[in-house]
Amino acid sequence: MTPASRIACYVVLTIAALITVVPLLYMLSLSLQTEAETMSADPVLWPEALQWGNYAELFERAPFGHFIANSLIVAGGITLAHLIFDPLVGYVFAKFRFPLKNTLFLMLLMTLMVPLFVRMIPLYTMMSNIGWINTHQGLIVPFLMDAFGIFLMRQFIQPIPDDLIQAARIDGASELRIYAQVILPQVKPALAVLGLFTFVFQWNEFLWPLIATTTEEMRTIPVGLTLFNQEYFTLWHLTAAGSVLLFLPTAAIFLLTQRYFVRGITLSGIK
Amino acid sequence: MTARYAITAYLFLLPAFAFFALMYYGPILNILSNSFHTGPQADVFAGLDNFLRAFADPAVHNSFAVTLIFGAGTTLGAIVLGLALALLVDKPLTGRVIYRAALLVPYLTSVAIVGLLWRNILDPQLGILNRLLDTLGLPTQTWLTTQPLVTIIAVTLWMNVGYTMVLFLAGLQGIPDMYHEAATIDGANASQRFWRITLPLLAPTTVFVSVMSVISGLQAFAQAYIITGGGPAAETDLYIFHVFNVAFSSRDFGYASALSFLLLLVIIVFTVLQLRAGRRGEVSY
Repeated sequence: MTPASRIACYVVLTIAALITVVPLLYMLSLSLQTEAETMSADPVLWPEALQWGNYAELFERAPFGHFIANSLIVAGGITLAHLIFDPLVGYVFAKFRFPLKNTLFLMLLMTLMVPLFVRMIPLYTMMSNIGWINTHQGLIVPFLMDAFGIFLMRQFIQPIPDDLIQAARIDGASELRIYAQVILPQVKPALAVLGLFTFVFQWNEFLWPLIATTTEEMRTIPVGLTLFNQEYFTLWHLTAAGSVLLFLPTAAIFLLTQRYFVRGITLSGIK
Repeated sequence: MTARYAITAYLFLLPAFAFFALMYYGPILNILSNSFHTGPQADVFAGLDNFLRAFADPAVHNSFAVTLIFGAGTTLGAIVLGLALALLVDKPLTGRVIYRAALLVPYLTSVAIVGLLWRNILDPQLGILNRLLDTLGLPTQTWLTTQPLVTIIAVTLWMNVGYTMVLFLAGLQGIPDMYHEAATIDGANASQRFWRITLPLLAPTTVFVSVMSVISGLQAFAQAYIITGGGPAAETDLYIFHVFNVAFSSRDFGYASALSFLLLLVIIVFTVLQLRAGRRGEVSY
């Protein structure tokens, strides 16, 4: 590369990176401004005095503690379920031989073509018939596992040598024990990717929690924030503080596990 | 022995298929059947009425057109910008890992954050963007009033471009170096190498990215729900937002189901077309 083209690359990349990062820094700034500053006709770039109290005020003005707890229960519960079910089903499709295996696998993959919008009305009707609207189980159960996670796990379990499984069988290990003590330890990195991705995705999920909750106390953070903003739409400092709190866990996970994360994205692009 | 393993396999699969039957196959059959029904419980048989109504409904035409433009805009933008950024961060530059991370950050945010944050930034009075333009001596805009659809396309691109960049980056890194080296020896310049080698070899990635992007573009919801409320004058009435309102504000489950079903058909058609187009352009190496 010539020095000139090198500089040009840096300039373009720096501008692009500023465009992606600066709005988020501005969100942080808004969250630390006074209400007057956020309403000023002359937008304030950075507050004169940092209003950390905004974060406390958020908990007084909205049941934000509930929002956080709900998000943790729902995203955490779904992630746990994926980590339990996806590899188990993936293992069966990777290592067992049984009649109709390919048909069943195809039926499973077909669910990848069913978007949430197709499911939202029937799921709503179903959940309301069994009284699960506005409950944690109503938010968790429709997402307990998915075909993509199962497919991913199957891909990772397939290369594990059959001899290993046979040896364990000869030693008299039960099928569940083989799964837990032979298979799972071999696919730890894949489990990490699956867990991270599921958690971040569910933590940010918006449509289903919006449909399936009816009271303030049951909202997850994304829904709580949006509805809070509609109810008190002038309170930008609090909306921004809530957004920062919603973003922090994902940002922390990303910083700590960047490599896994990028791997997760490229894996989701397996052809 | 084999029979015993088969039984074990079925036992392990049973909970999974019970789940998929209840949460996927059931709902598909349910919206199909709902599509032919009407009434508050979607229990009155209506034949093709819902579909005929959809084909004649100007609000549906509008929201379908809005959604197509949105899907086309976000897809085209994601491919062009994602590929351009991937080419840049693929170069041996110091700090490229930091640039990659910085460009990916908005993808990690919830669409709720993106919606609320940009509604604030774009606000004609309070917003910082107009202030910035003003400082630079550029004309200010009422983004969400005069250019609402283009604006929410841009905001969506802001959120998703890092994702397509990572996918293109993986595609680029999958191209063996020898092709470029051979071309360089043959005297091909950078632009020839890009158009004749990189781009054709990236065809599978490009197809994948466009399929994903079209599918997610047609399903966008929160941009309308949070940023524009579908307005002004239904100019950003994204299809799923429209269906959401028909279902949960008008409580017209039968009609909403028919509308969902129609979009599903459109998505399937797009996917098949794109996969066909991709197969033709694919180069094996």
